[in-house]
Amino acid sequence: MNKSDKTGLIFFPAFDWAISPTHPEREERLLYTRDQIFEEGLMDLPQIREYKPRLAEYKDIARTHFCVPGIKEQVTEAHLIAAGAALVMADALMAGDIRNGFALVRPPGHHAMKVVHGNRGFCNINNEAIMVDYLRKKYGLKKIAIIDSDVHHGDGTQDIFYHDRDVLFISFHQGGRTLFPGTGATSETGGPTAYGRTLNIPLPLGTTDEGLHFIVDRLILPILDEFKPDLIINSAGQDNHFSDPLANMSMTAQGYARFNEKLRPDIAVLEGGYAIETALPYVNTGIILAMAGLDYSHVVEPDYAPGMFSLSAVKKAEITEVVEKLWDIWKHRNDNNFEALKAKQDFWQRQKFVFYDTDGIKEHQTERLRLCRDCGGYLSIVSQAMHQTGNINNILGLSIPFQGCRVCREEAYAEYERAVKRSTFDFIYLQDRAEDLYKVHSREKGTEWEEE
Amino acid sequence: MFIGIDVGGTYTDAVLTDGEKIIGKTKFLTRHDNLLLSLLGALDAVIAGQDITQIRRVVLSTTLITNIIAEKKYPPVALVLAPGPGLNPAEYRFGTLTKVVAGAVDYRGREIAPVNSTDIIEAGRDIKSKKYDRAAVVGKFSSRNNSQEILIKDILAQETPDLTVEMGHRVSGQLNYPRRIATTMLTAATKEVFAEFVRSVQDSLRSRNITAPAFILKADGGTIPLESALHMPVETIFSGPAASTLGAMSLSPKGQDSVVVDIGGTTTDLALILSGEPLLASKGAKVEEYLTHVKSFAVKSVPLGGDSLVSFQGGQIEILPERSGPPYCMGGEGPTPTDALRYLDKVDVGDKTKAAEVMNRVAEETGSTPDQIAKSIVEKACLIIVNAIEQMFKEWEEEPAYRVWQIVRKVKIRPDNIVGVGGAANGLIPEAARLLGCKAIIPEHAEVANALGAAVAQPTVTVNLRIDTEQGYYTVVEDGSIGEVPKGRSFTEEQAIELARDKLYEVAEKLQVKEYVKTVEVVHSEVFNMVRGWSTTGKIFDISIQTPRDILCYLGEGESGDE
Repeated sequence: MNKSDKTGLIFFPAFDWAISPTHPEREERLLYTRDQIFEEGLMDLPQIREYKPRLAEYKDIARTHFCVPGIKEQVTEAHLIAAGAALVMADALMAGDIRNGFALVRPPGHHAMKVVHGNRGFCNINNEAIMVDYLRKKYGLKKIAIIDSDVHHGDGTQDIFYHDRDVLFISFHQGGRTLFPGTGATSETGGPTAYGRTLNIPLPLGTTDEGLHFIVDRLILPILDEFKPDLIINSAGQDNHFSDPLANMSMTAQGYARFNEKLRPDIAVLEGGYAIETALPYVNTGIILAMAGLDYSHVVEPDYAPGMFSLSAVKKAEITEVVEKLWDIWKHRNDNNFEALKAKQDFWQRQKFVFYDTDGIKEHQTERLRLCRDCGGYLSIVSQAMHQTGNINNILGLSIPFQGCRVCREEAYAEYERAVKRSTFDFIYLQDRAEDLYKVHSREKGTEWEEE
Repeated sequence: MFIGIDVGGTYTDAVLTDGEKIIGKTKFLTRHDNLLLSLLGALDAVIAGQDITQIRRVVLSTTLITNIIAEKKYPPVALVLAPGPGLNPAEYRFGTLTKVVAGAVDYRGREIAPVNSTDIIEAGRDIKSKKYDRAAVVGKFSSRNNSQEILIKDILAQETPDLTVEMGHRVSGQLNYPRRIATTMLTAATKEVFAEFVRSVQDSLRSRNITAPAFILKADGGTIPLESALHMPVETIFSGPAASTLGAMSLSPKGQDSVVVDIGGTTTDLALILSGEPLLASKGAKVEEYLTHVKSFAVKSVPLGGDSLVSFQGGQIEILPERSGPPYCMGGEGPTPTDALRYLDKVDVGDKTKAAEVMNRVAEETGSTPDQIAKSIVEKACLIIVNAIEQMFKEWEEEPAYRVWQIVRKVKIRPDNIVGVGGAANGLIPEAARLLGCKAIIPEHAEVANALGAAVAQPTVTVNLRIDTEQGYYTVVEDGSIGEVPKGRSFTEEQAIELARDKLYEVAEKLQVKEYVKTVEVVHSEVFNMVRGWSTTGKIFDISIQTPRDILCYLGEGESGDE
């Protein structure tokens, strides 16, 4: 893509930000990672160039999310910096100043969905999704692949791109029966216009580096070869590590480093990982070295011994089966029944229930997608959120694709005007990504404004 | 009376001041073959006819160590490294015999792999057999736990007693292993020659009946007694830019934001003074090819000077980043900024008729007037300076930061003053200041700014303390010392700061500068709650305190113009 031989690195540990003093997302999380990468002197290596993050703008967030009631109620400055860090990496990459980049930042974002009523899975806004939409708007990139390597299903990122046939989202994770958020089954394959562009790889408990590299070699890399994305993003969680306190997998720093070496992501963005002493210092060092093309073979956790983990034949068979199933879905991604569906109805519709574990919010959604041959269709989301306080928020969010066609744009605007007049929603959001214009209407205040 | 002497790359200058005005000054070319002689020559010149008993302090700034390292005139030092997990140790290339041995500690100072004595004995024998007399023992995270470095040194001392061993944690406790290796290696390499220099200086002072304490200037602008500097010779590198900045600072208004612009023959050096304090570089200095832990001023060098060659290609004036000899008005070949300034009567060096000659020549070639040519050259040079200043502030604003408040705070400081030092300053600084909308200061005595900077520099003491109450120990970054604190979560931030203060006084005492420590400021204080299994098991404190970075006195009225 460009001639630079540098790996960009933003290290933003947010040493003055926490969800709460004892929460896993607290000041201490990247302290030992700081110690390790600073002591290693990684920032001095000629292959590495360190960047300072910036604050993302509200418009960058409005391009991706419907934040309820508004962006300033959902994000702290730390969130704006974490998202801004990803944007700095994106700009440096596009300017040709770096050949790849790693935003080693917190707070994380991959559980944040399109509609944001609060914090779920430690996330408020989705750093990768904001970056992907920014790259598409600012630089006109089209096809982007996001590989989510966090142990938890990247349900937020999946939700945001579920109807987007230009974004390939692949998540591997500990199966949803045993871990938050519970989703991420192989049957979640993308909406009717983006079938096969969402692929979920649920893994059995205790999956090892061998299991990881089996899915990488047999599924992820071959699919990427066929999808031919303009950019590859690693949504880089580190909690598949054998020592992570919140999950039950058996991967190592070596496994993670080799994964990045093979995947060759253009940009990696840190997600979860809460073994802050036993995993993060080593996994992050391994990923940085691998991305910079340096030897990572000496990055070994002190409490790891060769032969500690092995993958049973039963589990191997289970993973093989998942790979075969997904390969089949991928192969048939283009022979869906769009025409038959379109003949019957103009809109495709589904109901969703979303639980916000951190904030205890229960959300019911009705999602309607206009079945549009030209642009993939505009999306209309009616969402009702019940807060623990008993407070209820009703909102309507309308989202026009980047290549939104005339009809979809007109219909979305008409729906917006109708809703304003009918006055049934507390807030109405219009996300016109074709024009990069983001409107909000508040019933209570009777006013409309643009996010800038 | 206070004496400051700077033995620089080109000139040696000395200043005698009573703290209110300059009583004596001298300046001559440095004798490269004998720095001590240059130093003593300058000293004798300023004390001639003065009452020796009134001298209260002598401060030296010298390029001795810088030169030794640049010219590679130091004995070889072998490395004994205990890196543990991380970067492949083959990446540690310091151009010397390097032995990687077993042993490792982690980021919290816990031993994660033991040292192996046969390993070390073998390494020591091999080092000796290859004719090395010095070795640097450096372990990763040795500042968090120095026991392995000490053990390795002990084993080497027993088996190879004539090997002189320097340990990493004694040289720097800052994180960054490769820099600690380089700094330890250079320390081991220069310690003896530095000690010899210090002895000669002390003898010379004694023979002149000067009993006042003698200090040496460090790259960070602080001074330490000669005796205390013996174990950290590398910190005396790059004291020249520190001296010139401090000198300019003492000749400009107190407490403001200023840029010091030192215009030399081929380069212009910029340094920043923010709210009255010189800006330190965020990372250690680069000494030749080695990145080190040595703290120094943030200095930006631009290839522009009075002797820079000016070219006229296609009617475009360009100041080239090179010199082809002295200015035309001083017997050189081509036009230079100095010729333009001489022609416009803005400097008083060289032959004006020669300057006019070269301006006329260019004017004829380009179909312009000599006046216009001279003004364009000056304008161009000013623009280079202004751009460099803007760039320097921008770089400062873009320094990486790791805390929310540092990113959110909108910093856009632009200077109140430009303080011009050096031959061409008078001709260029007023215009550059006008372009930046700030005040130009061309101080009197600027030609001996370096010596003045040495004279007014003060001892500074910094302590970075890291406390881990889960394990119950603290480490002092500056001297690698380690001690105990009560375990658990009861230790408070106030206690931590109090401990840091005690450590600062201890460090000051060790450096023999305790009487200079009047006030102490907390630079930053951070507390991390350590949570294991949902309950707080301890705290990590990161505390940085220092003595205020001020100078002895301000001699300038801060008025613009010269006299």
